[in-house]
Amino acid sequence: MPAKKHPKIESRAQNFARALQQVFGRGFGPGFWLAVVWLLIVAFCALFADWLPVRDPLDPVIANRLNGPFTSNLLGADGLGRDIFARLIHGARVSVVIGLTAVSIGMLIGGALGIIAGYFRGHFERALMAVLDVILAFPWLVLLLALVAFIGQSLFAISVAIGFLWIPAYARVARANTLSVVQREYVLAAKAMGASTSRILIKEVLPNVILPVLAYGLVAMGLVIIVESALAFLGLSVEAPQPTWGGMISEGKRHLATAVHVAVIPSVTMFLTVLSLNFVGDRLRSRFDVKESNL
Amino acid sequence: MRQPEHMESNASLLQVNNLSIRLNSAAGLVHAVEDVSFTLKAGQTLGIVGESGSGKSVMARSLMNLLPRRAVAQRKGSVLLSGREISTLSERELQRLRGPDIAMIFQDPMTALNPVLTICVQVSEPLQQHLGMSKQAARARAIELLDAVGIPDAVNRIDQYPHQLSGGMRQRVVIAIALTCNPSLLIADEPTTALDVTVQRQILDLLTGLQKERRMGMLLITHDLGVVASRADFIAVMYAGRLVEVAPANTLFKSMQHPYTEALFNSIPRINDASHTRLQAIPGRPPQLHNPAPGCAFAPRCPYAQQRCHRETPPVVQAEQAGHLHACFYPVSAPVALGGVR
Amino acid sequence: MTNTSEQATPLQLRNRDDIVLRLEHLVVNFQVGKQTVQAVSDVSLDVALGETLGLVGESGCGKSTVGRAIMQLPPPSAGRVLFKGQDLSNMSGEALRQTRTGLQMIFQDPISSLNPRRKVRDIVAEGLQIWRRPNQDARVREVMEAVGLDPDTVADRRPHQFSGGQCQRICIARSLALDPDVLICDEPVSALDVSVQAQILNLLEDMKQRYQLTMVFVAHNLAVVKNVSDRVAVMYLGKLCEIGNAEAIYARPAHPYTRALLASIPDMDPDARGQQDKIPLLQGDLPSPANPPSGCRFRTRCPNAQARCAEVEPVMQAVADSMTPDHFVACHFPL
Ligand SMILES: Nc1ncnc2c1ncn2[C@@H]1O[C@H](COP(=O)(O)OP(=O)(O)O)[C@@H](O)[C@H]1O
Ligand SMILES: Nc1ncnc2c1ncn2[C@@H]1O[C@H](COP(=O)(O)OP(=O)(O)O)[C@@H](O)[C@H]1O
Ligand code: SF4
Ligand code: SF4
Ligand SMILES: [Mg+2]
Ligand SMILES: [Mg+2]
Repeated sequence: MPAKKHPKIESRAQNFARALQQVFGRGFGPGFWLAVVWLLIVAFCALFADWLPVRDPLDPVIANRLNGPFTSNLLGADGLGRDIFARLIHGARVSVVIGLTAVSIGMLIGGALGIIAGYFRGHFERALMAVLDVILAFPWLVLLLALVAFIGQSLFAISVAIGFLWIPAYARVARANTLSVVQREYVLAAKAMGASTSRILIKEVLPNVILPVLAYGLVAMGLVIIVESALAFLGLSVEAPQPTWGGMISEGKRHLATAVHVAVIPSVTMFLTVLSLNFVGDRLRSRFDVKESNL
Repeated sequence: MRQPEHMESNASLLQVNNLSIRLNSAAGLVHAVEDVSFTLKAGQTLGIVGESGSGKSVMARSLMNLLPRRAVAQRKGSVLLSGREISTLSERELQRLRGPDIAMIFQDPMTALNPVLTICVQVSEPLQQHLGMSKQAARARAIELLDAVGIPDAVNRIDQYPHQLSGGMRQRVVIAIALTCNPSLLIADEPTTALDVTVQRQILDLLTGLQKERRMGMLLITHDLGVVASRADFIAVMYAGRLVEVAPANTLFKSMQHPYTEALFNSIPRINDASHTRLQAIPGRPPQLHNPAPGCAFAPRCPYAQQRCHRETPPVVQAEQAGHLHACFYPVSAPVALGGVR
Repeated sequence: MTNTSEQATPLQLRNRDDIVLRLEHLVVNFQVGKQTVQAVSDVSLDVALGETLGLVGESGCGKSTVGRAIMQLPPPSAGRVLFKGQDLSNMSGEALRQTRTGLQMIFQDPISSLNPRRKVRDIVAEGLQIWRRPNQDARVREVMEAVGLDPDTVADRRPHQFSGGQCQRICIARSLALDPDVLICDEPVSALDVSVQAQILNLLEDMKQRYQLTMVFVAHNLAVVKNVSDRVAVMYLGKLCEIGNAEAIYARPAHPYTRALLASIPDMDPDARGQQDKIPLLQGDLPSPANPPSGCRFRTRCPNAQARCAEVEPVMQAVADSMTPDHFVACHFPL
């Protein structure tokens, strides 16, 4: 018997507000929201780079070469006299596209493999784990270089290559979460009800595994951005002249002695973005974990 | 024992006066303990009975100042151990008290033991620390203690790790640790809740035996009236952070005054009743302890509640018999027949 | 277990027409590393229509495993489960899925047995959705009202907004939605507050009447088991020790283990201090089910054990002077 009468039917909005409050409600603090705002800005730039009122990122104005911030250009110009601010904004697109694609590929393939392994156990699980261990033990950079050499240097190819590298990590996260969900008695209750395996996977397991995996995805996205910059240093990222943050840092290192800002500004941008992703992902993950434990 | 023989009978070992504790929680201030007072004499057992969430553990932990510092929002009242105020002591002074004066046993014997240390290390550590024993002497004493708490083959078991022991054996080790420094007060917080009935019986027998033998004062905390009925000298019933009834054990069962005590007693299935006997359930559920409503906390579930109960908090008053206290405006007076009740 | 007893029909199985559930020589083993945990060893029992069978024993004795093996979750390693005469252990996937809806289960931890991400309405309707039953909304309302939940206020909420007792009500509603014949309750009140426990026990009793349920009630609290049961089965270390009418077993236990269990119950009468001490206390702990004692599994803790108990495993025999028929005990020297 409900000890207290609740209002008869709650409006959808009220329900939604309550759900929001449960997930985002208390205790995130201003740091979390700052990070969210930063990520929104980055996403906005990536989406609307072409329409934003910034200069042409590919237009070298020799006169502006290596100018510092707040001179001819808002954030200065690089070694070829291109506007750093415009390049940052257009570079965000590469980071976001690579981040999203790679993370989605990893999440879809790795997540599915992990859930299946965690649910069915047995030979498949053992075989999968063995393969994943081998992939994880392989030096990732070598693997990445091989993949890029094999499928090319387009934005999509690089995303796929990086995404492939992430499959083992997602598979592990998804498997661990599945293992704990499968032990819960609601799964047993569903079986007793006659639920088919696919129904159990979709209705009982997936909703409880997807949130931790998504939260992990945010953290992973930060790492993906760093991996892209590592590729850029090796000259293997998206081909010039398409601006990428990694590429900008890589180019900037030639001017470190004379014009620090060329390398520092994209570095700081990338640092803030990765930090925000980690921060948000981590907070969300702990929130979901706590929810799991006191549910 | 630290007290001279003649003092034991009249001096109170533990005296708690108007103890109130409020804790911080995500949902707001939790009124975990409200205006709790009781006295425990050496050699006596006070049973504290209450449902989960009624504040028993918070109360027990606060006696030893073991609550997480950040969780405590407010603390009022005094706690006198052998006449000495201990609620204002510094952490360092308290540490000297824990072990030789007060010892505590927790519900879950697995988490109370360190999984990576052997039994020997865990039992002899307080001996070395508080009593300054040598390693060999402490080990010998530890074996004696493990023997005393009924661990068979203590000489060999002492070098095992907690996971190699069963739940009952672990709880015996926890008891042995609590006894190392001959405490004058033993606080047992649901010592048998995690154990099976057969083992529960063994552990309770052990505890009451040791308590008699060493003339310790014991606070026996439980959610099961049956656990304290035949073992405690006094019983205190806790509801929503308050002691709603305190009485000598046999008085309590013969003439319950508080409606909650009565309802709790009646809702328990009896082994001597015929199968399918309808149980007298208490409607509703225990209250949340944040933002308590005014009035008696039991009022929403109480069959005797009047308007007054929803407005005023009933004070603790003396019932007819000496030493029988209750907090109710309209106490149940009719004595409860005890014929063959088990 | 000799080969002959493997074939013979166990004595304790009753020869009646209204047997709904019948377990024959049920064995469940778990492989843990190199060890084989013998969780359930040769358990045979039956439950008649409308009866409640209480299953008691110390934790780890295999009670839950029996309950789950009845549901074939997982299927037993050996032996048969007959539900209304049909052998569940022989059924193929689809037929089993279909037949199993006649058996439902509720669990000890009401909170972990509800999917935190689904609404109460969907949880209760789950079985109806799976089997595409008509009039789902009406049925959901009916069972929610039956268990004392107000459908209008609770249907759209999620489990974590409810207390343990409320969650157990939701679990009961869910299990009743498909109108099962048998309800297996695995410690349904062990995690609840004392004051809420009585509510749920009364509710189960009401539901049993209202929906003509046959129940298997697993618990370690003997007073609770007596309250709900018609018959009681006592298990020790994977074996059945004693089975019979609840009143008869509680009044005159025939197995030393049953007597010890009953003697361990804390006494509610303060004047009765020390009276039970005449019955020898059970010493020691449960041995490991991976390496059970030879002969009678209880012999390491039995006060009456003799040399024979270590050599020959006792088989079920009728209790000679019991108050009721159909009272059986597996002991060489019954009390
Ligand atoms: N560390 C803590 N922080 C905040 N609230 C707490 C803490 N510990 C316990 N509580 C709350 O205090 C109340 C009493 O809890 P407790 O003393 O553990 O009950 P009991 O031991 O009687 O089951 C509960 O409402 C519980 O949620
Ligand atoms: N899935 C499992 N894998 C391995 N051992 C198990 C499993 N389930 C139960 N057991 C073991 O089987 C025995 C009986 O367990 P269980 O049926 O849960 O006992 P009860 O319900 O009586 O407490 C225990 O020793 C337990 O450790
Ligand atoms: S004070 Fe009133 S509500 Fe509280 S227990 Fe007494 S009669 Fe019941
Ligand atoms: S067979 Fe022997 S050991 Fe087993 S219960 Fe009977 S007397 Fe005890
Ligand atoms: Mg507690
Ligand atoms: Mg169990």
